Amino acid sequence: MFTIFNQSLRRWKWQIIGWGSSMSIIAVYLMWLYKPMLEQQAQLKNLFDAYGKEMLSFFGGTADIFSAGGYLNFAFFSYVPVAIGILALLLGSGLVVADEEKGTLDLILAHPITRTALFWGRWLALAATLTAVLLLAWLGFAVGLSWTGLDTTAWQVLLPHISLLSILLLFGTLALFLSLLLPSRTLAASVTGVLLLVSYFVTSLASINDTLEPLNTFSPLKYYQGGSAVNGLEWGPLLSTLGIALVLAALAWLLFQRRDIRVSGEGNWRLPFLK
Amino acid sequence: MNDSSIVLLAQGLTKSYGRVQALRGVELEVQRGEVFGFLGPNGAGKTTTIRILLDLIRPDGGTVRVLGLDPQKDALEVRARCGYLPGELHLEDAETVETILKQFNTLRGGKADWTYIRNLADRLGLDLKTQTKNLSKGNKQKVGVVQALMHRPELLLLDEPTSGLDPLIQQEVHKLIGEAKADGATIFFSSHVIGEVEQLADRVGIIRKGMVVEVAETQALIKRALRRARVRFGGEIQVPTLEDIPGVSILSRSADSVTLRVEGEMDALIKELAKFPVIEFETERPSLEEIFLAYYER
Repeated sequence: MFTIFNQSLRRWKWQIIGWGSSMSIIAVYLMWLYKPMLEQQAQLKNLFDAYGKEMLSFFGGTADIFSAGGYLNFAFFSYVPVAIGILALLLGSGLVVADEEKGTLDLILAHPITRTALFWGRWLALAATLTAVLLLAWLGFAVGLSWTGLDTTAWQVLLPHISLLSILLLFGTLALFLSLLLPSRTLAASVTGVLLLVSYFVTSLASINDTLEPLNTFSPLKYYQGGSAVNGLEWGPLLSTLGIALVLAALAWLLFQRRDIRVSGEGNWRLPFLK
Repeated sequence: MNDSSIVLLAQGLTKSYGRVQALRGVELEVQRGEVFGFLGPNGAGKTTTIRILLDLIRPDGGTVRVLGLDPQKDALEVRARCGYLPGELHLEDAETVETILKQFNTLRGGKADWTYIRNLADRLGLDLKTQTKNLSKGNKQKVGVVQALMHRPELLLLDEPTSGLDPLIQQEVHKLIGEAKADGATIFFSSHVIGEVEQLADRVGIIRKGMVVEVAETQALIKRALRRARVRFGGEIQVPTLEDIPGVSILSRSADSVTLRVEGEMDALIKELAKFPVIEFETERPSLEEIFLAYYER
């Protein structure tokens, strides 16, 4: 399993470096931006009032924007699940099916490794890759904290990253599960992407429209704390999100165990439970 | 024969892809140390059979034993002791040949002998420093051959091993297969190139529409099966008389001669011919190709 884990991490090193350094640079910039924003509170409040509350809801609202949690949420954690979510769903949907579609999985699995070791080795590498990207983002915030007036600590800023990791793992694993259920990786990634966007819209708009609340109950992003996690993690939603991600991973593993490894031109797609 | 001498065993193997029945009860038995050629046209079920042996796909029914083990329950041991060359070989594009081989070696616990690997690459004219994305189909196939042989497996499962290779390299691969056999390995290879099977295989199995229709020693199959006979007579004869003989069919005829295809024993034909003034009688041993085609014409 650790051989597969190491090989997968090596394969994704450029994703870690690219996404991680980008997030880190954004984090440093946002830390630098906080002081000038604080100095222009009055003008900014006027500016925000000019925007519709519907639009601001996509950034977590502006009620608490000059507090540590409110600012981090508005400037970063409100929209970043969608941004890094793209990485998560691309990695998740391709975790095993990308190699199958390329035709390389056939030969890999002819070597003395079990399907279980391959699956969990890669899933752990997915988790490690997302963790590494978020740690680089956090590093940017931690470095930036030294010259910003944001009233928080590096440890506190780490907490929203943990909440974010759980939601990214959920969507990455959902993409993995769907890739083993649907005919292609592209379709699995597309369906997961649509679900991510729907969740983002529903949860954002539910904050200003109560009629969306029943639907919001089923939206994964409702259980994501965002920047407010600097004040402490809500363990219930966090563990529930992680738990659902693990259940999806276990279901995907079962599908992979039963699966005929496809090579181009061999076999037709069918729903696994109709076999 | 005791059980340990049987390296591959398939009994009543069935497999369907939706409505397409790829295997319809494949029966196979391959003995230790032999080179077994699995012959059939595209779509006959050769690749499906091989992939079931490595648990890459699961059969709908039947029993499989590889090296005495169940490939589903003992997948690790089976794969550790087998070398596999897929029919459609795909490699990671962003790596050199050496890196790819190192990765495969790592998956096998890093036990391969790199002197042997370099020797194999030299013999096949394969540059280990080349990026795999720059390799031609033939050169990719060479990588496949090297990775299948590099850990000196007990059992080689080769799906169309010389596909895409030029004739010189094909001969080198044939030599490598011969050397593996001399070292005690069992080789099970599929091919639709009849000359290759005729040259390499101790025994041959012919698969047709998902069923093994014949298994025999290659030479025995050639000897016992079809022959072509040309007969020249001293005078006109009644050709239909010969057609009545079981196993005899007429390929061409003229006023004083006839060319026949004879399946099985020649005794009845010779006894019938003895009734006529025969000036010349020639028989020709068939190629494996003719035998193979005869199975497909049935």
